[in-house]
Amino acid sequence: MKELVQLSVNGQTHDLVVRPERTLLDVLREDLGLTGSKRGCDLGACGACAVLLDGRPVSSCLTLAVEASGHEIVTVEGLARGGGLHPVQEAFVEHGAVQCGFCTPGMLITVTALLDERPEPTEAEILEALSGNLCRCTGYVKVLDAVRTAIRRMRQPGLPGSVAPEVRA
Amino acid sequence: MTATRIEYHAPSTLAQAVALLEEHGHAAAPLAGGTDLVPALKHGVLQARHLVSLARIPGHREIAITADGGLSIGAFATLADVARSPLVGAVCPALAEAAVQAGSPLLRNRGTLGGNVCLDTRCWYYNQTEAWRASRPPCQKAGGQQCYVNQKQNVCVALFSADTPAVLITVGARATLAGPAGERAVPVEALYSGEGLQPLAKSGAEILTEIAVPAPPARSGTAYLKHSPRDSIDFPLLGIAAAVALSGGGTIASARIALTGARSAPCRLPELEAALAGGPVPAAGDRELAQLATRSLGALFLTDAVPHKRRLAGLMAVDAVERAAALAQGWRTR
Ligand SMILES: Cc1cc2nc3c(=O)[nH]c(=O)nc-3n(C[C@H](O)[C@H](O)[C@H](O)COP(=O)(O)OP(=O)(O)OC[C@H]3O[C@@H](n4cnc5c(N)ncnc54)[C@H](O)[C@@H]3O)c2cc1C
Ligand code: SF4
Ligand code: FES
Ligand code: FES
Repeated sequence: MKELVQLSVNGQTHDLVVRPERTLLDVLREDLGLTGSKRGCDLGACGACAVLLDGRPVSSCLTLAVEASGHEIVTVEGLARGGGLHPVQEAFVEHGAVQCGFCTPGMLITVTALLDERPEPTEAEILEALSGNLCRCTGYVKVLDAVRTAIRRMRQPGLPGSVAPEVRA
Repeated sequence: MTATRIEYHAPSTLAQAVALLEEHGHAAAPLAGGTDLVPALKHGVLQARHLVSLARIPGHREIAITADGGLSIGAFATLADVARSPLVGAVCPALAEAAVQAGSPLLRNRGTLGGNVCLDTRCWYYNQTEAWRASRPPCQKAGGQQCYVNQKQNVCVALFSADTPAVLITVGARATLAGPAGERAVPVEALYSGEGLQPLAKSGAEILTEIAVPAPPARSGTAYLKHSPRDSIDFPLLGIAAAVALSGGGTIASARIALTGARSAPCRLPELEAALAGGPVPAAGDRELAQLATRSLGALFLTDAVPHKRRLAGLMAVDAVERAAALAQGWRTR
């Protein structure tokens, strides 16, 4: 039997009819065309499908769409604000923390959630937060550099981070 | 997901949920965070066709200190909530240690304590996709005749490998179950059958609603050590919990040790517990005690590195005792 589902995604409400075995990831990608969230392992192990569910990062590949009904979802598409990139997104671009880009949407979601909750996380907290997001390209070093820059930027908006101006241009 | 067709129920009371589980019997399962159940559906190993969601049922998510100084934890609380609760950290630090090591932050934000306690057993065969398993008939646990791990005895030896139950067992926690005949409370230890096929010793219509951790005795401490192939997102190859109470003289008054990841249920090490009682706190790495622990583990039916796991269990058990005792020594200053 199909279920009526009301998904609030990036501030927009969608009324959908879905089969209960479909995951939030299926519905975001296939029904809503929000292909930012990636299907990596599809089994909860890689973090590529991470979205915010009521502000907390979760694996959308393990969340049934029916269970997300009535909750607030934010995907990577919803991070940019006012036409510009989110400071975390900016820092990822500047540091080259994006290579193939497959893990990136999940990383951005996780890091944004971390900094919303803890604007000044310790190094251990950053590593802990990212421990569910696998990346096969960057070796994580540039991701961590990007996170540190984002922390500085968000603390003092308007100030440049540690990145050389010619890279930012 | 696969072609699996499921029916979804979202009851708004516990009584309705129990009734739905009773009505659909073996074809039904409670759905909490879904972090284990959804992969099982995708793997095509779960028989359930009716999912009874616990999400709309109010309550059973609170973590509180009880009148006697113990903990009451709603079974629907997430592992993230358990891990970061200052109350859990104060009363039973090992439970916070176990919760924070279960899966990844993404999983802990959805996965619940109840789902962790009621986790299904698994093996390298069961934990594969349907496509991977398609070359032969399903195993016993997936509805077939054969066990592909323990082929000689043809008995399911799938492992229980949730992180929190070993801790709950060492501290004597009790689980409250709501079922068709009303509520009952049992020691967490009694929740497990030891069978790979049906790991839980409860009826399918019973829902775990609360975990009660008794107040810790004076001069006591707890610890949980986990060994897994990778640091993040991995079931324990072995998880060991210890709860130790010291006497006034600093010797061990009592020690309870339990492990996960070695059998189809979390299990105690009674011989080691008896050997420790009344004696001094062992040094981490004490080989003699470690060997005793290894022996008391008995035979293990596993595919992966049995001798390694047995030796590791001994060493980790002693380390866990030493660490719990160190916390117990600091009891007064806590
Ligand atoms: C990649 C990955 C890594 C993981 N790593 C770990 C790990 O390191 N350690 C670990 O312990 N777990 C791990 N898990 C398993 C799982 O995420 C956790 O055990 C989690 O706590 C399960 O809780 P849940 O609420 O998501 O359970 P669900 O998936 O909803 O349910 C699990 C089982 O318990 C039953 N159930 C759930 N709630 C109740 C209840 N209240 N009463 C009765 N029955 C109930 C369900 O019917 C089902 O059979 C991992 C999972 C994945 C996908
Ligand atoms: S131990 Fe055997 S019967 Fe049990 S899940 Fe594995 S292969 Fe199947
Ligand atoms: S695709 Fe969801 S965690 Fe890998
Ligand atoms: S950039 Fe390729 S997986 Fe991370």
